[in-house]
Amino acid sequence: MTLASLAAPLGALPPGSRPTIVAVAIVYFLIVVAIGVWATRRTHSARDFFVAGEGIGIWTLAIAAMTATLSGFAFVGGPGLVYSVGLGAMFLVLPGGITNSMGAWVLAKRMRLLGEARGLVTVPDAIAARYDSRAAQGLSGVAILIAVIGYMATNLLAQGLVIDAVFNTGLGTGVWIGMLVILAYTASGGILAGVYTDLFQGSLKALVSLMVFFVAMGAGGGMTAIAHHIQAIDPGFLGPWGKLTPLAALSFFFVFGVGSLGQPHVVHKFYMLRDPRRLKWYPLLTTSALLITLLLYFGVGVAIKGQVAAGAIPPLVRADDATPTFLLHFTPPLLAGLVFAGVAAAIMGTTNSLMNIGAAAITHDLPVAFGRRFRNELLAGRLSTIALSLAAALVAQFSGTLVAFLGVFGWGLFASTLVPSLAIGLNWQGATRAASVASISTGLAITLIFETLAYFKMFAFPLGVSVSAISLVTSLLVFFVVSWITRTAEPLAPDVRLIMEV
Amino acid sequence: MKRFALVTIFLATTGIAIAYASAFLPGGVPSWAPWLLAACISVAMMALATLGAIGRDGRVGKLAIPIAITLLLMLGGFGVALAFPALGAAEPIVLGLPLRAAAVMYGIGVLPALVLPLAYALTFDTQTLTEDDLERVRAAARVAAELRASRGAT
Repeated sequence: MTLASLAAPLGALPPGSRPTIVAVAIVYFLIVVAIGVWATRRTHSARDFFVAGEGIGIWTLAIAAMTATLSGFAFVGGPGLVYSVGLGAMFLVLPGGITNSMGAWVLAKRMRLLGEARGLVTVPDAIAARYDSRAAQGLSGVAILIAVIGYMATNLLAQGLVIDAVFNTGLGTGVWIGMLVILAYTASGGILAGVYTDLFQGSLKALVSLMVFFVAMGAGGGMTAIAHHIQAIDPGFLGPWGKLTPLAALSFFFVFGVGSLGQPHVVHKFYMLRDPRRLKWYPLLTTSALLITLLLYFGVGVAIKGQVAAGAIPPLVRADDATPTFLLHFTPPLLAGLVFAGVAAAIMGTTNSLMNIGAAAITHDLPVAFGRRFRNELLAGRLSTIALSLAAALVAQFSGTLVAFLGVFGWGLFASTLVPSLAIGLNWQGATRAASVASISTGLAITLIFETLAYFKMFAFPLGVSVSAISLVTSLLVFFVVSWITRTAEPLAPDVRLIMEV
Repeated sequence: MKRFALVTIFLATTGIAIAYASAFLPGGVPSWAPWLLAACISVAMMALATLGAIGRDGRVGKLAIPIAITLLLMLGGFGVALAFPALGAAEPIVLGLPLRAAAVMYGIGVLPALVLPLAYALTFDTQTLTEDDLERVRAAARVAAELRASRGAT
């Protein structure tokens, strides 16, 4: 677990710094709770709960999308990965300069207009509207639900570790406290609470990342000096692929680049924008926020490697110690406290979005797939959010290494099941219902089978080839081939056709 | 144009699949596989952007320029990383990074982040979503909603 290392170094902080960190954490949680209370008072319907009543502005959308994209991994696991494999780790985030614009062209306008025209609340709703298929909606709902539980469990465990590190609660208690805080504002205020806490949390993350980056560069005497130190002892670290093979680095780029078009907790936010004409600024704002927030990912990993290369600190025992070690040696307590709050913010932002789309899958997508609907979707949404959170917290607490396994394939499962039907299907009238069902099934089957075989060490792809990449590329090919084979004059609803044409 | 973008995405995806399949060959990954993978990923991503950017007239218009620039940046960045030999500590530092790494990090990670979002914003009102488009969609949605309601009533 990449965040486990946070706990130990906090205990080693200089005397007097712990109260500052605890105070920052308490203030942070109080602000989150206040936003949750405010949002709860404004949540009156299922549309408020799941799509914020289509009432958010472009700044909120942009920051919320960034916050949902970057989990706690960007602040702890990411710098550790950079320390471990050098610039190869950047291939996870390198597509970020492109993906928001690509997503805006491919998805944003059509998802937003479809949401308004049809009153949609979930991503599988869009698939159902496009293909007029309950099967496609149900299957995509199943895929989302499977991925969400794993993703949530991983994030709740990480949140538990942070809370334990700051408040000395013990890991198990930390998991449940973290879950209850996120649940409190998600179950009551729904996505409305989520996006406004995301706005606060995302701003905090970006601010903290920027400050830490400058501290990191300053501590090493600037990037050029850091690069010279590293080159002297380990030139491969700053090679274009780092210590990865080109195939492995490019696989990251492919899965996190093309796969970004199928992340429902991000894509779903397009429905929430008040004025679709404001999408004009979405790529600029989201990309800027993303790149600023990723400065910590790059800066801390490289700076710690530079400090080790210069002999200022000993080599890390575990790569995941990069961020805690940096906090311990180079940042004042207030900034360290803000970084801890930033990690919590990153985890909470992602978890809240996952809770919401998971609850929507239970409350809305699966019943609709079977031709049924809850009479009170708002109440059902709140109850299913609670049930989902309890399930994820139990998985986090009792399943040991299974949590890491579940967390690994979340992104890949989203990508392989949703990218073809959404990114291609919303832009190609020749895409068919059969192709959508086939590609979602392919993504589900390949991801679940091969990730499970890999987990039990029964099968492994060659070095540099990931299950996520194979699953994504196969589901894309299946989508094209089945569309061409089953090409018929499937009538598109006039409103859907118009949205695909504008 | 749409057909061209779709066929390009399909061919690029096939290329990506071939590159991955080559990793299963005896003797390990052939030297051409990373080249094929880098080229096909770049082409697939920009073909996807093109597919989404095609307007109601079936063309991408001025957006062809920033998309082409980004494709060249991606191909160039990956090409420099794959083609140039590692020089170790002797590699010159450019903007804080060794030359080949700088080509990838700035060429693929930073420059497109300046080019594409600005291109999107500058062309949005004329090519992505006009007031007329929005009104037409809203009118069509009203008609469709009335139709669905009348079907439900009967």
